[in-house]
Amino acid sequence: MKKIITLEVNGDLHEVAVAVHQTLLEVLRDKLGLTGTKRGCAVGTCGVCTVIIDGKAMLACLLLAVECQGRSITTIEGISSADELHPVQQAFVDQGAIQCGFCTPGIVMTSKALLDKTPRPDDEQIREALAGTFCRCTGHIKIMEAVKTASQYERAEKKSD
Amino acid sequence: MSTKRSTYSIVGKSRPKLDAPLKSTGRSLFTDDIVLPGMLHGKIVRSPIAHGRIVNIDTSRAERLQGVKAVITHRDTGGVMVGPDQMLLCDDTVNYIGDEVAAVAAVDEETAAEAAELIQVEYEPLPAILTLQEASAPDAPILHTYCEDNFADERTMVYGDPDKAFAESEYVRSDEFISNPTHNCFAELHVALADYSLPGKLSMWTPSQTAILFQKNLAQNLGLSESNVRMCCLNTGGAFSGRTDVKPHHYIAALLSRKAARPVKIMCSVDEEFIVCRAGGNNIYRFKTGFMKDGTLKVIEADMLHDCGAYVETQFIVLLLTGIMLQLLYKVEAMRYQGKLVYTNNIPYYFHHGGGMTPEQFALGQHLDLVARDLGIDPVDLQLKNAVEKGYTTLSGTHYASCGLKECIKKAARKAGWKKKYGKLPPYRGIGIGCGVMSSGGKGMFVHDTSAAFIKIAEDGKASLFTGLPDMGQGSHTTMAIIAAEALGITTEDITVVSGDTDIDPFDVGSFSQRGTFTTGNAVKAACLDAKKQLAKTAALKLGVKPSALVFKQRSVYPKGAPEQAMAFEDIVFDTLHSKEGRFVMGRGFYNSPSDKASLAYSFGTQIAEVEVDPETGFVKLLRMTVAHDVGRAINPLAVEGQLDGQAFSGAGQILFEECLMDSGQILNPSRLDYKLPRPFELFEIEHIIVETNDPFGPFGAKEVAEGPLVTTAQTIANAVSNAIGYPIKEIPVTPERILEALKQKQKQH
Repeated sequence: MKKIITLEVNGDLHEVAVAVHQTLLEVLRDKLGLTGTKRGCAVGTCGVCTVIIDGKAMLACLLLAVECQGRSITTIEGISSADELHPVQQAFVDQGAIQCGFCTPGIVMTSKALLDKTPRPDDEQIREALAGTFCRCTGHIKIMEAVKTASQYERAEKKSD
Repeated sequence: MSTKRSTYSIVGKSRPKLDAPLKSTGRSLFTDDIVLPGMLHGKIVRSPIAHGRIVNIDTSRAERLQGVKAVITHRDTGGVMVGPDQMLLCDDTVNYIGDEVAAVAAVDEETAAEAAELIQVEYEPLPAILTLQEASAPDAPILHTYCEDNFADERTMVYGDPDKAFAESEYVRSDEFISNPTHNCFAELHVALADYSLPGKLSMWTPSQTAILFQKNLAQNLGLSESNVRMCCLNTGGAFSGRTDVKPHHYIAALLSRKAARPVKIMCSVDEEFIVCRAGGNNIYRFKTGFMKDGTLKVIEADMLHDCGAYVETQFIVLLLTGIMLQLLYKVEAMRYQGKLVYTNNIPYYFHHGGGMTPEQFALGQHLDLVARDLGIDPVDLQLKNAVEKGYTTLSGTHYASCGLKECIKKAARKAGWKKKYGKLPPYRGIGIGCGVMSSGGKGMFVHDTSAAFIKIAEDGKASLFTGLPDMGQGSHTTMAIIAAEALGITTEDITVVSGDTDIDPFDVGSFSQRGTFTTGNAVKAACLDAKKQLAKTAALKLGVKPSALVFKQRSVYPKGAPEQAMAFEDIVFDTLHSKEGRFVMGRGFYNSPSDKASLAYSFGTQIAEVEVDPETGFVKLLRMTVAHDVGRAINPLAVEGQLDGQAFSGAGQILFEECLMDSGQILNPSRLDYKLPRPFELFEIEHIIVETNDPFGPFGAKEVAEGPLVTTAQTIANAVSNAIGYPIKEIPVTPERILEALKQKQKQH
């Protein structure tokens, strides 16, 4: 049994027919072609598929698509422009915080959600926000640095506005 | 021994990876992102028992399910063997929990899963052999009945006269160590997408460390010509030595695709991920060493048992690596090694980060730490006394043209404040040192260890570099671009790396055995020098000097000492093409180490760890790591630091947390939450010390930094923990339970 729902993703409205048990992750990737959100464990243990819903970092694999109607969903595709990376993305690039890159979109989204709420996080706040993420390549060391750098980039950007 | 600041324009300067912006946006394609027209989804039916006879397989209900397009069992494989002892899809016997029995392809994942459930397999359980002890007992039941015993492979190495060296030793110590199974836990799960819809050509997308070996094995075992197998290894979501060989799901995806005449993707689920392989087996290491009282090492003897699980895969390599390794790090008179791979009904063992050398080096490192304590010698002094040096030739004939081991030891000890801390820390605080060595290449599997490269230079002065070397995140493609840019005198941004498709890429053995920077790097450099020679001919004519008198630098070409006469690089390219000859500039190069050893260049490292142990809970907190590594030359220091960080973290995981908990052949914790691995809360401080010894054979002096740091980390942390609790670490990982047990044993002794 499929249900027709409307999802707001990156500011666009999408009308999609989904089975009620389909996860947001499946719908984003398979129906909307938004493959920037990667499928990791698909059971909520790795944070790879993190998206931002109404300002909060959430795991797309643990949400049913039907639950997401009327909510504002931001995926990795929605944070950079054609010409410019988002400051968090730029910081991850500059600090060498990206290796295989599979977990990167999820960690970038998690970091963005943190910085949106807490523009100057301390180490403990960063660790806490990233506790559910999963990176086997970098040892999270340069990721921590990148989040701090992103915080600086964002503040510099605001100043220049 | 550090060389002076290099005069290179690009090599040695930190820069972000070329593919990092794309990866940051999620636009980099991984296998699961690829959807082919008409693509089906596959699901594998696996054995639920560790050992048993297959009485009957009934696929009829699955075949009748709406949406199912193909069902295969051993009757459909044409007798394909995945390895010397492993049949693709079991016919009469299953040998481990997870053994592949049948598979289905259907229009979507749910239908495939439902169909897999409908396949009824009737088993008659057989007794399972689950431990190394059971399997290696003289009267043990034999797992593969065509074998004489359960030893899948064995290897003995003897150098010098060990008996004489032991007799002459003033001090002899023996220890036994155990390591438990681990898992790679790549971010990207095992996945394969096969398109074998037409009989003439199989195309496969999958994460891999070596497209070439996948191509060769698939072709050979499926009865295809190599050129009829196209491997597409785009991005690989982590590998850690675990993606060097074709696994059953790759063949199964291909056969399902052939039968359904449509592309088939098989994506493992996260619990299935843990039964595709254990990566790092249950190993028992017995070490015996002979020393003089002043700490001079005379002889090393090692006896190792590796539980290889139900099938041997390519684990014979572990025996070679762990054996040779024993005499590479210290000056030693004699060495004896015996290693055995033992069949059990456990999940097959496959490489984890460090290819079997990480737990081995933990064991050797902890053993030597205990020797130092017995002899009353500071462990730093023991390392310095026995460390190999530049110009040394090992017992196996490996010669070190560059070696910064002593420099690493001294610098790490100074930076970590060893003298102020060793033996002077408060109770339950500990400090430990470890040293390591690693080859920059892996000659031995073939007669050659070849990498090839092409470069084509467009009229705008930009170049496309073609390489078969996969980049699993370590940044090898950026490293190759830097080498190319330096060799051609252009910038890294001018280079586009083309890779990941065997229909296009030149031959490259792959990204394993720490061979990328050294071996492929040399091939890339050779290709660029070939192209440069073609350009130099044009430039020499224009500038009226000999080709040898030209300087290529920062996109310009000029006679040595006369930069004011510079011509733009792209103008030289233009003039070469728009000439009577009409030459299109393209360079080709290959590299194969002229030595018969694993490599001509070896990296060396020293690490120091500081830990704090909570005697109440047994929990270890890793406070800080000082990581020194002789990389020859850091082509991209930012990437080198990334390698050091990642390996220190991985080593910490392998020593402190990671363990596949096994019961009766079943893994009890197949989840990324229950298989404990370090996350941001387990972060520690890290200090990098990059030592540069400018290896004469390395591209711009570079050597490996792929697994050398890792094999050093594990022992370092174990030694620090042992120092903190004042008791040997005999089994890893040193979980809180094992720490508490060690503290209990210690109390009993006093």
